[in-house]
Amino acid sequence: MSFLNLSPAEFLALAASAAAFLVALYLLDRSRRRQTVATFRFWTASALIPHWKRRRWIQQPWSLLLQIASVLLLLTAVAGLRWGSPEAAARDHVIVLDASAWMAARGRSGALLDEAKAAAVSYVRALPSSDRVMLIRADALATPVTGFLNDRGAIFEAIRKTQAGATALRLEDALQVARQAQRLEGRSAGSIVYAGAGRVSKEESTWASVPGGLRVLPVSDPPVNCGLRGLSLRRAEGDPASWEIFVTARNYGRARCDAPLTVQFGGALIGAHRFLLAPGEESSATFRYRTRTAGWIEARLRVDDALETDNHAEIEVPAQPALQVLVYSEEPELLRHVLEASPSVQAVFASPKNYDPGKKAAVVVLDRFRPSGLPQADTVWIEPPPGASPFQVRTSVKAARVERWHAENPLGAGLATRDLRLEETQVFEPAPGDLVVADCAEGPVIVARPGARRAVALGFHPGRGSTRFELATPLLFANLIAWLAPDVFRQWDFASASAGMVTATMDPAMDPGAARVVGRGGRPLPFTVEDGSLRFFAATTGSVQILGGNRAKVLSVNLPDVAGARWEPPPGTPRGLPGSPGPHRSAPSLWPLAAVLGALGLCFEWMRFGPRRRLTPEPEKGAS
Amino acid sequence: MSSQPIIDRDFLEKLERLSLHWQQPFGGLVGGHQRSRSPGPGQEFLDHRHFHHGDDPRAVNWRAYLRLEKLILKMFQVEPRVPVRMLLDVSRSMATGASSKFDYARRLAAALCYIGLIRLDAITVQPFSDRLGDPFLCSGGRQRLAETVNRLTALTPGGRTSYQKVVREFSSAGLPRGLLIVISDFLDEDDCIRPLQYLADSGHELLLIHLWAEEDRTPPWDGELELAHAETGERLEIDFGPEAREAYTAAFDRWARTLQEAMVRKGGRYAGIPTSMPVETAIFGPLAAVGAVE
Repeated sequence: MSFLNLSPAEFLALAASAAAFLVALYLLDRSRRRQTVATFRFWTASALIPHWKRRRWIQQPWSLLLQIASVLLLLTAVAGLRWGSPEAAARDHVIVLDASAWMAARGRSGALLDEAKAAAVSYVRALPSSDRVMLIRADALATPVTGFLNDRGAIFEAIRKTQAGATALRLEDALQVARQAQRLEGRSAGSIVYAGAGRVSKEESTWASVPGGLRVLPVSDPPVNCGLRGLSLRRAEGDPASWEIFVTARNYGRARCDAPLTVQFGGALIGAHRFLLAPGEESSATFRYRTRTAGWIEARLRVDDALETDNHAEIEVPAQPALQVLVYSEEPELLRHVLEASPSVQAVFASPKNYDPGKKAAVVVLDRFRPSGLPQADTVWIEPPPGASPFQVRTSVKAARVERWHAENPLGAGLATRDLRLEETQVFEPAPGDLVVADCAEGPVIVARPGARRAVALGFHPGRGSTRFELATPLLFANLIAWLAPDVFRQWDFASASAGMVTATMDPAMDPGAARVVGRGGRPLPFTVEDGSLRFFAATTGSVQILGGNRAKVLSVNLPDVAGARWEPPPGTPRGLPGSPGPHRSAPSLWPLAAVLGALGLCFEWMRFGPRRRLTPEPEKGAS
Repeated sequence: MSSQPIIDRDFLEKLERLSLHWQQPFGGLVGGHQRSRSPGPGQEFLDHRHFHHGDDPRAVNWRAYLRLEKLILKMFQVEPRVPVRMLLDVSRSMATGASSKFDYARRLAAALCYIGLIRLDAITVQPFSDRLGDPFLCSGGRQRLAETVNRLTALTPGGRTSYQKVVREFSSAGLPRGLLIVISDFLDEDDCIRPLQYLADSGHELLLIHLWAEEDRTPPWDGELELAHAETGERLEIDFGPEAREAYTAAFDRWARTLQEAMVRKGGRYAGIPTSMPVETAIFGPLAAVGAVE
């Protein structure tokens, strides 16, 4: 016999308290009441005084005993009195259902997840109806799906709705969550049942300090599986239109794997490779493809193995448009060399006579002429006639010399030439908010004006005279273009990654303080930077951008995170479904009987010793 | 004690058509609306009789003397102001019970005073416990009701009931005979019937209004009781139950019947009123039934 909710000491303490309370109530009920009356005439006249006896503390012992017994019976009902050992008491079980990416693999009879679901359902069916069950869905995160429920229908529905995720299993975390849930509930802890394949990281595969009461419901382990581990792109050095493509594959199975790989761009085959991988081996292949257009680069392993989702990866490649620069100049040759040096800039030269302020271009260069109207784009003014540009010309000087470059703003970054001589230059009167890029003795010779329409004014022509041969000239134009159109020089890297904890190597040129990680829809993701690596958690597939300065990295999180090792439970850990339900399955609960007896006892006491019958004096013989 | 007004306007309107009634003829002064069968100074002719020594010569019928040569006296019928007195029990026993008999008695006294006021009767209200308290006269018409109510409201319960002392004090005052209304619970540990009979024997017409609370007649308690006497402070321990309750109630009823029979034998009237009965019901019920008001 056991009490489900209370230990024997707790029950005895509670019973003693209840009995004491009842006795106190009894004595209080039977205590002498004080009443003020108008006269004693009728009290004495009714011949009651002879009936008064010496007061006894317990006048109706059977009533008191019956009340105490009834309340104790009700107390035992509340305590859940049950025949059998304490193990027969209702317990709280936790089902940890593996929903990692690997559970989508095909097993002997359908997906591994379906096998795990069937095992979990069988286990829950084998439990006594009084036991409560909690379901935890485990992948990289341990997600409690239900609380501790007796409702088997809700548990089965939660199991049925479980889908394989994209991340790898973190079994240790999941089992700790299960144990913590049992502790918080504070009731009799049942088993923690893990249903899954046990695919974990290599570090976790040797984990042996499992919580007590663990039971494992294993599923089949497919022998063959090869999968892509990564797909990444980057611009080829020296040829911005070319992409270098890297594909990595791994053999997760126990048998040797022969996996043909095809790489396509927009459906067109651009390369093929054949991986011959030993069990656990990982190998890479490199491809090169030249294109400026946008499209999808797709890598596919042509194998028929257990897990299909890791046989395919793709990355969206954006178009690489060139910066359209429209130059109005009578001497285009003076500027051609500085504008066509970058493959990312496409310069179009036109005569000032053909000036059209509405003509579309990203940047308009106006070389020494007065336009009929301001262009609708960012503008570079070269020796603007006084009053023709938004910049005010203070004076013109000859034989000037650039004495200072303002490296504190991006236009003067990297420029330190001190011997730049200018045969003739204009000196500007900067407006408030203007950025001064270079000064001569008389004043600013290069100024820039930020705003919605950015503008830069050069007081001298960079293609004339000795400045044409100065190193500062192309650097200055590079800074101008980078300031006017920052995206032109941003370097993009593309890579595929697996869901879960993603670790990306940061470009050394990327400022960790300025780094941002942006997920789907521009949503910022939390991340950490440590030892040149940037880490963040991606629970779902999608595209994630890592931005920092003029560097950008796009991660296509479309590969499932398949753990490479298999966890084996320590020896002695129960496996599979339990045997017979055990003797406690038929152990009857006594609380309904105790409740009924307690209620009947109280009713009988009330009828027999109730207020109408309480303390009725029995008339003595001879009294009238 | 209740803080609500002891009498309200709606109730007063219902009392407009009532008047106090007594059965015996009382000699009295002119005034009031109660017709008396006693001769005396008045305006309305009643009878003739022979002149006796000591009669008022102004009442001699001189026309009859000239015709008959005999002194014939004209007698006139008076509408006398019969002395109406109201003894109001303010002992501590009146304040016991869930519904205070003291409050009920004051409301009932106010109602009877109002009935007297609208008929131009003069009612002397005198509280008592073991002695007579200061009397106050209630007369002069309905506009004097407020003063009466104020005097009644100012009363406080206290003291021990002693009818022997009160009757002795009342009799020694030599007051003229009249209607004597006694509002009380009549719970005197000594005998109260004999003093009341003495009052009736001395010519007063008694109207006993017996008030009791429900717990006075049927105590609701069970079990062991420690009773405290409201007036004496004595204590009594007792077991009490349904059968004892029945015996108690029977004793109470027996005593009330004894009181009623004693009064009826002496020409008085008795009205037993529980405090659970509204005052309006008491006026138009038990009091009207015994002819106290009409």
